[in-house]
Amino acid sequence: MDGVGQRRARPHREVSPALSRQQQIAVLVEHHQNPRYAGVLEVADVAMPGGSPECGGSVVIYLKAGEEGRIQRLSFTGQGDIISQAATSMILEQVMENGLTMNEVLALDYDAFVDRVGREAVGSRTRNATLGLSTLKSAVRKCQKDRLHADSAA
Amino acid sequence: MEQEIEKKGYAHPEALVTTEWVAENLNDTENVRIVESDEDVLLYDIGHVPNAVKVDWVEDLNDPINRDYLDPEHFAQLMQEKGISPDTMVVFYGDKNNWWATYALWVFRLFGHDNVKVMDGGRIKWEAEGREMTQEVPSFPRTEYPVPERDDEKIRAFKDDVMAHLEKRGPLVDVRSPGEYSGELLHMPDYPQEGALRGGHIPGAANVPWARAVREDGTFKSAGELREIYEGEVGLSESDDVVAYCRIGERSSHTWFVLSYLLGYDNVRNYDGSWTEWGNAVRAPIER
Repeated sequence: MDGVGQRRARPHREVSPALSRQQQIAVLVEHHQNPRYAGVLEVADVAMPGGSPECGGSVVIYLKAGEEGRIQRLSFTGQGDIISQAATSMILEQVMENGLTMNEVLALDYDAFVDRVGREAVGSRTRNATLGLSTLKSAVRKCQKDRLHADSAA
Repeated sequence: MEQEIEKKGYAHPEALVTTEWVAENLNDTENVRIVESDEDVLLYDIGHVPNAVKVDWVEDLNDPINRDYLDPEHFAQLMQEKGISPDTMVVFYGDKNNWWATYALWVFRLFGHDNVKVMDGGRIKWEAEGREMTQEVPSFPRTEYPVPERDDEKIRAFKDDVMAHLEKRGPLVDVRSPGEYSGELLHMPDYPQEGALRGGHIPGAANVPWARAVREDGTFKSAGELREIYEGEVGLSESDDVVAYCRIGERSSHTWFVLSYLLGYDNVRNYDGSWTEWGNAVRAPIER
């Protein structure tokens, strides 16, 4: 975190039946206590760090690429506040359960994800909520770049 | 009970209270307001000290537009909403070794709210002792709180003050991690907007990471242990005019509290512009 906070205008959007703030917090706490896809992935093609261990939260996203732009495996390690760690667990679960491809991950919308995490609970800490997603996108970009280099070298 | 604090030999032992004191006084809501100030913004919601109110450094203490703290009108409004009068004793506690608690306390002091204390050990000690936690958000009668004046001179330093301080070779304490101090860490990955264009530290600054002032259980080290660090290692002395800084002034508010209250230094200022200002400023001198 470690930033100068600013209240930002929230764009009006239709949100499906909203959870109450307390329910959003309950979901976040549950993910924080039982993180999905947690741990180091030894066979990863990319290990991408994000955030700050000193302020807010930090994560490392491990990505193992599959065939034709797919993601075979994902995991994360991290430390920090409930929002950053729980939201990372949530995004990894979303990607793996829906079998999203790398390009589909890059197309994920940050605002939509914050809606999913719960705007009421996240409040002004949207950067904490998107730490996992932004680090995951960085991991995907690095993976795609590495593959491109490998292909052109071949 | 408060002997625990007395025996640590601080210059101002009255600036700290024990968890036991808080447990015994948390129902004295007419005279005492317990304030939780955390980095992890959801901690208060999942459980807090009974009768504690929450103050969030982003939502409550920062100006929403300008890089500054809230203005006196909003401070008075915040106090009224939290049921705090000018003479209410405010006891701060929080996560991360009271890092954010001391930050909130420092902001309260800018507005002249001087009856302030920190619960030694913070949230981690309260939890470790298995003390009562609640999710119930208390509500207190609205108070009268006259709009105060904000004093930005005594305990706050701006960039020009630091420049002048540098010219007269005044002591500076950089409380960031060694990696940030050496310039190895320029900015956090994915947080470029929170970083600085240049890495390093203000010339002549000593590096004392802020958390060296606390023990494993979250309580502050004794005055003797603190003197060994700040005076023995760094060479500071009580009469020094000291400026502390970090990235935005929150970690250094912890060191400001330690030097001012626990060691009794009279002239300590927190440079809240810190590295996010200095490391971006044209021609600001930097050492690596």
